[in-house]
Amino acid sequence: MRILQVFILAIMLSASPALAGDQRIHAAEGDKCPVCGMFVAKYPDFLAQVVFTDGSVAFFDGTKDMFKFLLDLPRYVPSKKAADIDKIQVTDYYSMNAIDGRTAWYVVDSDVYGPMGKELIPFGSEAEAKEFMTDHGGKRLLRFDDIAPELIGTLD
Amino acid sequence: MSLIEKHRNIIDYTLSSLGRRKGKTFAVCLVYSFIIFLLASVVFFTQAIKREADLLLREAPEMTVQRLEAGRQTTVPAAYADGIGRIRGVQSVQKRLWGYYFDSLTGANYTVMVNASLNGREGQAIVGSGVLLRGAAEGESRKIQAGDSLPVKTYRGEALMLKVAGILPFASELETADLIQVSERDYRDIFNAEAGRYTDLALQVRNRKELATIATKIVRQYPDTRPILREDILRTYDAIFDWRGGLSIMTMAGALFAFIILAWDKATGLSAEEKKEIGILKAIGWETGDILQVKFWEGVSVSLTSFSIGIFAAYLHVFVGSSLLFEPVLKGWSVLYPDFRLTPHIDAYQLVSLLFITVLPYTVATIIPSWRSATIDPDSVMRA
Repeated sequence: MRILQVFILAIMLSASPALAGDQRIHAAEGDKCPVCGMFVAKYPDFLAQVVFTDGSVAFFDGTKDMFKFLLDLPRYVPSKKAADIDKIQVTDYYSMNAIDGRTAWYVVDSDVYGPMGKELIPFGSEAEAKEFMTDHGGKRLLRFDDIAPELIGTLD
Repeated sequence: MSLIEKHRNIIDYTLSSLGRRKGKTFAVCLVYSFIIFLLASVVFFTQAIKREADLLLREAPEMTVQRLEAGRQTTVPAAYADGIGRIRGVQSVQKRLWGYYFDSLTGANYTVMVNASLNGREGQAIVGSGVLLRGAAEGESRKIQAGDSLPVKTYRGEALMLKVAGILPFASELETADLIQVSERDYRDIFNAEAGRYTDLALQVRNRKELATIATKIVRQYPDTRPILREDILRTYDAIFDWRGGLSIMTMAGALFAFIILAWDKATGLSAEEKKEIGILKAIGWETGDILQVKFWEGVSVSLTSFSIGIFAAYLHVFVGSSLLFEPVLKGWSVLYPDFRLTPHIDAYQLVSLLFITVLPYTVATIIPSWRSATIDPDSVMRA
């Protein structure tokens, strides 16, 4: 009971930093990924979102599905064009905060798998991505513009 | 006669037949209720305490890092915290100071912990509701109140008076009842603790997937440390409480077997009188099915009544009476709370499983022998 007690106290005494500045992506219970149809709220560590200028949001249970969506917009949302996209956000692997998907660094072929299998793991900085690659054996480090349909195909 | 009317008469007969054998019925009910009471008390207590631990641990830091010296826990230098804080994925590192203080006046063991909000308010303390104060005049211990002065003997042998600035909120009594929170300087004074060293480090890690990697990195960087994951602690506590619950059930096994024998005997061994009764009922035109229904309702009413009494008593025992009977076994070595109550919590699963292991076997046990004697020729039974 003693150790337990101390654990609890640590929480009680220090204002939890996890709650202080929460910049995560928040999806509702019923939000579904438009690509694979899965409920996304269950996988907060891989959550990604595309926000359109009209305020509508598409959530994804991983960056792989987000890229499938972005690379083939007419198939998933025929009414929208690339110019209608306001922002693209992905979940940083270490901090789990929302980061800009266009400037993020993506690691492919690591030993970390998402709900849809192989994933592109997003990072806010190159240094973080490099360190992740040494820990988790990622083979390639990519930027947003490097990601093409052929590459996504190799991940399925 | 309609079906419902017939059924009503059968139940009516059952109850009056139970009433005719008051002594036997009462004895079975009494023992039965007692057994249910014991079993339910253990189940309720174990579940409630596990739930309490679970609720509290959910908010706990994902990882704690201790330093070892010759295999035993020792203090962690502040530099370790900086190094560990630089590992990717570690959101924050909190340096913690805590220890145990034995109060020879009241004979109680308290947990002393640093509360950062008391830094700068030296000489003040926030205490748990279970902390006792030994009054000089009264000569006996009483619960501490805000405004009291708590005498503490430091490890240098000096006396330190701590003014109680507040009592910890009731939220989770099990964990906070014996706690004393002080400022960092008071802590170091009380335990003569070296500056710049801490009891352990509490880490916040956002991504649970990274926990194993971070633990590996910590051990690689500081080989004399031991990272402990929250999941490990949760598992350990679960195992300990299950083990204790099992232990108390084992000690009750004797009582349980005595009950099974009694129930079996009372329920299955039909007396000559009962056999005769069955014979007469058959002779006046009752069918075997009707007699079985009577016996079924007999079993159900005895076991359900006892079950309700037992469960109710167990509830009072665990959640109102602080589990007087097996408190020492279940709570462990750090029992010093004068008053301790668990949050009442019972789930349907526990109730249903208790119902199945007690009521069902009893009911079945009463029916089989009745069925055997109900199928015998009434003539031979009445003559016997």
